[in-house]
Amino acid sequence: MTPVFTPEQEGFREKVCALLCEDVVRAEIAQSRRTPYGEESGLLDVHRRLGKLGWLAINWPERYGGSGATIVEKAIVTEEMIRHGIPENVHSLGVDIVGNAINLMGTDEQKERYLPGLARGETTANVLFSEPDVGSDLGSLATRAEPDGDGYRLTGRKIYNMKAQHSDFALCAARTSTGPVNYAGITLFLVPLHTLGTVIEPVWNLSEERFDLITLDGIRIGREDVLGEVDDGWQVLNRVLPFERTGLDHSAKAERTLAALREHAPPGSAERLERLETRVRAARLLAWRCIANLHEGKPDEIHSATAKWYTSETAKEVSVAAVELLGPQALLDARDPDAIADGVFDAAFREAPGLTLAQGSSEIMLYFVATSKLGLPS
Amino acid sequence: MTTTIAEFFEGDLAPLVRRMADRPRGEGGDTDDDRRETRAMVWEGLTGLGALDDDDAVGLAELLGSVLYQGPLLDTLTARELFPDADLGHAPVALAAGSYSGQDETITARCDFVGFADEVEHFAVVGGDRSALVRAGHPSITTRRHEETGRGELYRVDFTDTPVTTWAGPVDWEPARVRQAAYLVGLAQAALDHAVGYAKTRRQFGRAIGANQALSFRLAELSMRVDAARLLVHDRDAAAHAAGTLAEVADLARTVTVQTMQIHGAAGMRSDDDAQLYYRRAAAESVRLPQPRG
Ligand SMILES: Cc1cc2nc3c(=O)[nH]c(=O)nc-3n(C[C@H](O)[C@H](O)[C@H](O)COP(=O)(O)OP(=O)(O)OC[C@H]3O[C@@H](n4cnc5c(N)ncnc54)[C@H](O)[C@@H]3O)c2cc1C
Repeated sequence: MTPVFTPEQEGFREKVCALLCEDVVRAEIAQSRRTPYGEESGLLDVHRRLGKLGWLAINWPERYGGSGATIVEKAIVTEEMIRHGIPENVHSLGVDIVGNAINLMGTDEQKERYLPGLARGETTANVLFSEPDVGSDLGSLATRAEPDGDGYRLTGRKIYNMKAQHSDFALCAARTSTGPVNYAGITLFLVPLHTLGTVIEPVWNLSEERFDLITLDGIRIGREDVLGEVDDGWQVLNRVLPFERTGLDHSAKAERTLAALREHAPPGSAERLERLETRVRAARLLAWRCIANLHEGKPDEIHSATAKWYTSETAKEVSVAAVELLGPQALLDARDPDAIADGVFDAAFREAPGLTLAQGSSEIMLYFVATSKLGLPS
Repeated sequence: MTTTIAEFFEGDLAPLVRRMADRPRGEGGDTDDDRRETRAMVWEGLTGLGALDDDDAVGLAELLGSVLYQGPLLDTLTARELFPDADLGHAPVALAAGSYSGQDETITARCDFVGFADEVEHFAVVGGDRSALVRAGHPSITTRRHEETGRGELYRVDFTDTPVTTWAGPVDWEPARVRQAAYLVGLAQAALDHAVGYAKTRRQFGRAIGANQALSFRLAELSMRVDAARLLVHDRDAAAHAAGTLAEVADLARTVTVQTMQIHGAAGMRSDDDAQLYYRRAAAESVRLPQPRG
């Protein structure tokens, strides 16, 4: 099951690593992890460099800024970016989620308009799904898109999204009709963020990246801003979710924290480390199984749920174990001059709770596997 | 006495106490000065109510954990056991653990993760065969606050030829460990109550999330584990098993707060929600005392 890479792919990984190991890149990454509280980095020079090489969205067609490569090369880039500590939300939201959705389901006009900027690392996007009363049960969302001439007016409140301050536009889910099945009648829109009628308020949280509360007060959007079909947003989501839920981001994070832990753990931790290491290896295998499925054009929802659950729980376990094994040293923030491993343990600990919530919580993955794989009654 | 102290923490004071040493980060709200004032007031209140001479120190520690008290009280209790003859009055003392080199009259040491170093009146420098009591505020002492997950009042403290007031033998960590374990039991219970409250009110899929057995059974299990931990810390033999008990309760406090976060969803990550506060405090408090060697 260990992923088998072609010599070209191995060579490509080395090239990516070489770039990410350059002193300037490492300095930029370290700096981005030490931004003053309340500020946070958006796209970095390293994103633009990867973008210029056509690597950032390497699996997109060349005319949209990619290199026409496969999902395997894309996964190699993602895995190495995270292993090297590049803050990844800005990239995963823009390229892996929103850009990927446009690449898969967008019109030619939408692709031309949005993809090249994303692929070059010059623009980014965010995701407006969750609402104050709507989290796991996305089907019950309340944001409305009401017909207005040849377009719509969007009204509602979106929360717990990230990176609005750096994003140029957003993928927003809104209700276009109501019916007996609540997830029918949801439409996805590509909406401008910094426009009259949109109010963005920061919602501070324990991680390095703030949330936002976004109020859409009747902003006007055109028909051409619908992604996929009207009332059929669920189709788009189902198509895109397997790309989001490979678990590769989490397995790479777990690897990164574990590598630092191995370096700093006190004597007597060997047995514990070995067990964690085994879990992390399994996490990576599950993630690459999903990539292989996608590569073969056969996404598997049960594999995705398994990978999402296992990898995120493992990454969380490693972060909590670091506190136990290293003691107070693990708590030092990257901004403390004496922080070990550039503060990776503190950052990982504060990020950990979100891993098992975002992109489908652990409980939702368990529910899916219990009912769909095991056939237990719902 | 613990009952009177419990009453002291009820009402309007409770939310202030929970954040009395939590430094805001970029998000506005109370300033450090406001929080320092709360801490001074709480210290006055606690010592005025006899907290330093409470004959149920374990019960007191559990109560302090349950209100997420942060301050030098537990350190002060340990220091008073260590230096029974020193005239400490009601003065707050911080334990400063680290290796040191000492002459007869002075001490030189670097100590990390010292609590409330900028507001205590004495340090008890511990960690070797002897322990030294020194007065805070001497020019030979420098402090620097750590930037850390707990965002609390933890400092690096450097002593350079600092005059020693009194010497004593090594610390007997057992009672301190039992009190720390009791503090963590209180913290775990409070975090659990917070999670249970949320599970009853947050609705998804048309019902309270706590109606799902995946969550309710998890909460029930944790409640049983906290119950067991409470018996351990209040047991007559607690001191004899202090290290093991503290390790178990430290793990439990981390587990409970991880689950408190999970049950709260993204809302628990918000700076204005207590879930993340319990989570961060459990991490810091679970590794607060030096681990036994070996
Ligand atoms: C780091 C992070 C980044 C995010 N980024 C974005 C973003 O960019 N855009 C966006 O729109 N949203 C974003 N979110 C929000 C995310 O989509 C939600 O957190 C997620 O949908 C879960 O919803 P909730 O947090 O409201 O939890 P809730 O749905 O309220 O659930 C609370 C708890 O109950 C559990 N639960 C719910 N239903 C059941 C059930 N039937 N059985 C058992 N357990 C159940 C959940 O698993 C969870 O543990 C982000 C969240 C995080 C943590």
